[in-house]
Amino acid sequence: MSRFFATGSDSESEESSSADEITPKATGTTFNKPTSGLRNKEAFTPNLILCCPLRFRFEELTNIIKTIRNAMKIRDMSKCLEEFEQLYRAFLKSKTIVDKEGVPQFYIRLLADLEDYLNQLWEDKEGKKKMNKNNAKALSTLRQKIRKYNKDFETEIASYKEVLNSSTNVISLCRCQDEESESDDDEDSEDWGSDSVDSGGESEDNEGAAASLAVVFLKKYKDGRRKRHKKIEQVEEEVDEDGEAEEGGWEKVKGGVPLVKEKPKMFAKGTEINSAVVIKKLTEILQARGKKGTDRAAQIELLHALSGISNENNLGQGILVKIKFNIIASLYDYNTNLAAFMKPEMWKKCLECIDELLDILFENNNIFIGENIAEDSENLAISDQPFRVRGCILTLVERMDEEFTKIMQNTDPHSQEYVDNLKDEGRVCGIIDRLLQYLESKGSTEEVCRIYLRRIMHTYYKFDYKAHRRSLGLQGETKSEQDQEESEGEDSAIIMDRLCKFIYAKDRTDRIRTCAILCHIYHHALHSRWYQARDLMLMSHLQDNIQHADPPVQILYNRTMVQLGICAFRQGMIKDAHNALLDIQSSGRAKELLGQGLLMRNMQERNAEQEKIEKRRQVPFHMHINLELLECVYLVSAMLLEIPYMAAHEFDARRRMISKQFHHQLRVGERQPLLGPPESMREHVVAASKAMKMGDWRTCHSFIINEKMNSKVWDLFPETQCVREMLVRKIQEESLRTYLFTYSSVYDSISMETLSEMFELELPTVHSIISKMIINEELMASLDQPTQTVVMHRTEPTSLQNMALQLAEKLGGLVENNERVFDLKQGVYGGYFNRGQYLAKIQLFEYLESEGAKKSQY
Amino acid sequence: MCFGPFPLHQTMASRKESAASGSSPLETPVKQIQIDGLVVLKIIKHYQEEGQGSEVVQGVLLGLVVEDSLEITNCFPFPQHTEDDVDFDEVQYQMEMMRSLRHVNIDHLHVGWYQSTHYGSFVSRALLDSQFSYQHAIEESVVLIYDPIKTAQGSLCLKAYRLTPKLMEICKEKDFSPEGLKKACIGFEIMFEEVPIVIKNSHLINVLLLDLQEKSTVADKHELLNLSSSNHLEKSLQLLMDRVDDMNQDIGKYNTYCRNLSKQQQQKQQYLQRRQQENTQRQSRGEPPLPEEDISKMFKPPQAPPRMDTLLIAGQVNNYCQNIKEFTSQNLGKLFMAEALQGHSS
Repeated sequence: MSRFFATGSDSESEESSSADEITPKATGTTFNKPTSGLRNKEAFTPNLILCCPLRFRFEELTNIIKTIRNAMKIRDMSKCLEEFEQLYRAFLKSKTIVDKEGVPQFYIRLLADLEDYLNQLWEDKEGKKKMNKNNAKALSTLRQKIRKYNKDFETEIASYKEVLNSSTNVISLCRCQDEESESDDDEDSEDWGSDSVDSGGESEDNEGAAASLAVVFLKKYKDGRRKRHKKIEQVEEEVDEDGEAEEGGWEKVKGGVPLVKEKPKMFAKGTEINSAVVIKKLTEILQARGKKGTDRAAQIELLHALSGISNENNLGQGILVKIKFNIIASLYDYNTNLAAFMKPEMWKKCLECIDELLDILFENNNIFIGENIAEDSENLAISDQPFRVRGCILTLVERMDEEFTKIMQNTDPHSQEYVDNLKDEGRVCGIIDRLLQYLESKGSTEEVCRIYLRRIMHTYYKFDYKAHRRSLGLQGETKSEQDQEESEGEDSAIIMDRLCKFIYAKDRTDRIRTCAILCHIYHHALHSRWYQARDLMLMSHLQDNIQHADPPVQILYNRTMVQLGICAFRQGMIKDAHNALLDIQSSGRAKELLGQGLLMRNMQERNAEQEKIEKRRQVPFHMHINLELLECVYLVSAMLLEIPYMAAHEFDARRRMISKQFHHQLRVGERQPLLGPPESMREHVVAASKAMKMGDWRTCHSFIINEKMNSKVWDLFPETQCVREMLVRKIQEESLRTYLFTYSSVYDSISMETLSEMFELELPTVHSIISKMIINEELMASLDQPTQTVVMHRTEPTSLQNMALQLAEKLGGLVENNERVFDLKQGVYGGYFNRGQYLAKIQLFEYLESEGAKKSQY
Repeated sequence: MCFGPFPLHQTMASRKESAASGSSPLETPVKQIQIDGLVVLKIIKHYQEEGQGSEVVQGVLLGLVVEDSLEITNCFPFPQHTEDDVDFDEVQYQMEMMRSLRHVNIDHLHVGWYQSTHYGSFVSRALLDSQFSYQHAIEESVVLIYDPIKTAQGSLCLKAYRLTPKLMEICKEKDFSPEGLKKACIGFEIMFEEVPIVIKNSHLINVLLLDLQEKSTVADKHELLNLSSSNHLEKSLQLLMDRVDDMNQDIGKYNTYCRNLSKQQQQKQQYLQRRQQENTQRQSRGEPPLPEEDISKMFKPPQAPPRMDTLLIAGQVNNYCQNIKEFTSQNLGKLFMAEALQGHSS
């Protein structure tokens, strides 16, 4: 449990701690009250829970005792010994209580019995021989121990034995069965009574320990019986009364077992059901929460039943709210494992409950809820004053949202089930919306920020088709009425803007603001508002410090960057697109970085625990960014940048790659022994790149934009047509540049008109591109205005000259290296080696000179 | 590049008898090489038929040593064999060939081997090892290097090389460390010696050639006047650049070695000094000095990089440079001539 709360949302820890806190608080108050032997009805009822530690301790003891008795029956001495030691420890633990309450009778009884039993065994030589070694050893140890131990309780044991001896019956049998015998002994004689006295003493404690409410409630009607317990000596009188309470007694005995069987009898017949009773009952149920062996499903049902009862009896909304809170909390509790997700029926129930709770909250303005309302200052029943209920609806809803994510993560995304589950998203959003309204009027700013973020998280990744349509001005007459109604809602952009700005202004935790900014950027980018998105990204300075954020935020950041890159691409900002996508794509782990799946090859590197954590971080399928689209966008932008660059720097020795990944793809393409028509997206891009290298824009275009690529990639954009047009234009421009770079050496002059025809670009565009190239000194040429031609200067070095230059550079490096060897040796070691170098060098310079001379001949 | 044909000891023995009358074996045994036209043609034909691009063809030379000249009278090609036929026995093949040739009364004495080259790149470890084993077994052996590209440009390029005695010694000792090479005082320029070649034909063939020369048209000789140069130069430059890169790497390696060595020397010195100081202190205190430890064990000298490869690379670079120089000077001449012609005609 604690682990869960440590890692899970804090909402839960609130819930649970409210339940857990009871124990320590209770201890404090219990002993202030003079409860020791004289618990009367008044003291008992309201402070029922306060007896908890006592009960708990005694329950522990009785449980152990039971085991010991069982072990005694089967003569399992080692078990006996083990349990006895446990018992001893448990007894020490409850020392404080024992000091107050006196040594419990059942404990003394056990000690006495055990000693007798051991002695008896000890005498039985035959039996001892039959025992196995372990048991025999345990027997002697135990015997010694108990002898020593019992010295502390000598007087008590003596008095107990006295009572025992007063009856002549053999009691060992009864003792073994005393748990059962207690209730059916009304016709029995006195000696039975003596036994039932003891068991009565025990059962009193028993009943306290049991979490059974029924028992407790029943108890109230058994005053007489209770008194009897207080006065143990009045044995005979009690016997008859015991008979009266027979039915109750029957129930009581079962206190230790789970509550399920008592379900139909929440309250005994005829009880006046008022809020105090219901609250008490509720607390009782909650006591069992988180304990081992508690049937969680049953608990949920119990709570439901309780809410039904309180509804029937009109106990007021306060209680109902309280119960609802607890139902939801128990629903969340149902799975102890953090990785497990809710069952569909649980989930449905949970949604309903939250809906109902919200209904109540909306209907009743006088209910105050909050996690900071102390347990004792709660006001559940008194309807004149405003209700005060402890609990936080926000955390519940947040948890619900997380559960929803978990369900989506754990559903196969390609199944109908996923679609069905996804339909619940509407409800989740609805709940969040309602809570948002509620908190806007009642909650603190922090709470509002939190719920805003939830709202944002459910909005940012969705493309607002309505707004898109509206912006295109299409919604007019062709749309049906329903569509129009739909489109009347607020644009998601406006909502995002409003919510995010509120968070920017009011939020004090960094995380919420960061998330909000990222979502805002994502939303902008998704809707092609490139400049807003970019400015927001730059203003937030997230790029500098995102590495300090926690992984989910980093995933969100990666998603945002990718979306930003894709947006830039749609807008035709190829360079920006490339830069934004570079980080994600170059690692080759885009899938992992976006939280859209785990990479297989990393399996060895992480253990099961890490894998679980990573799995929990995965983004649900419906929020995924298409990886193929992402890669295609990246590769195409890399192509548009890289191919002209490669053409321009063909002979540059120190040419750097713009995109490693793109080069990798090119190399893969080259390695293919047989080049068929492209199949995959990558092959298409590679084929297009090859065409572009030759300046063949038509082929390039046909490779990038065709049926296959449309269906794979381009149709996924909302403004498909615009993107395609942009792409064609970019391809034409870049092909023109590539063409000029590659073939300028062949031309003396080119007519711009020819170029504009070749690349189907308007003359001014061609003019501007060439001018830009000339200005950037990429193209050594000048424009001849009257004839509209480009006159090449032919000053670029030929390939031979380029090579000679490269060689000269390399030789420079060689000489430098050689000098270094020289420096080290300081001329001491001047042998064959250096001479050779210099000769080679001299010859090379000779050659270069001759080369230069030759050139001058032309 | 695969190893050349294997020299056969059996043939060496037979050669010794025949060449016993020749020059003393201590001096350079071969001053001149006389090659039959037949051998040249056979080598050219071999390359034409089997060698493509940068692939190398090899074969065995047969002949006799007459006084201080080596007469190469016949040759046979070595088959290109791939990795697939492992069971191909080279020695067996050579023996068979020579035996068969002997039956038809052809010189069957092994005097060396030939190899084609691609843009003058032949100075390699493989060639060195192969030629070493030849010269080790048969002192007069030569390696003929045939450059088909230059030949295609109009001038037959066939060169005979031998390892210098110095290099032979080093190879024998297999000491390629920097010190060893330094001691031997060997540089890349004295690794190989070129032996002059004379091509000798029978009178009848000479007559035929003269006859053919008269008949041949001017156009057949035009390739000699080809002015284009950049292709050849580019290729040569590319190869040269690769070698320079290799050289650079080697120097880098050597550099780190030197640095490590000097660093260790320093450490060693420091250690010795400290030890000495300690000892003097101990002596003044009257204690026995510390025992001398084996310092060479404590400071293991770093592994020196073998320098032979560097030497070979340098030789190869030299070779390229020579080739380029030759080529460019020829081309320059041609260009001047063309310019003069142009000026004359216009």
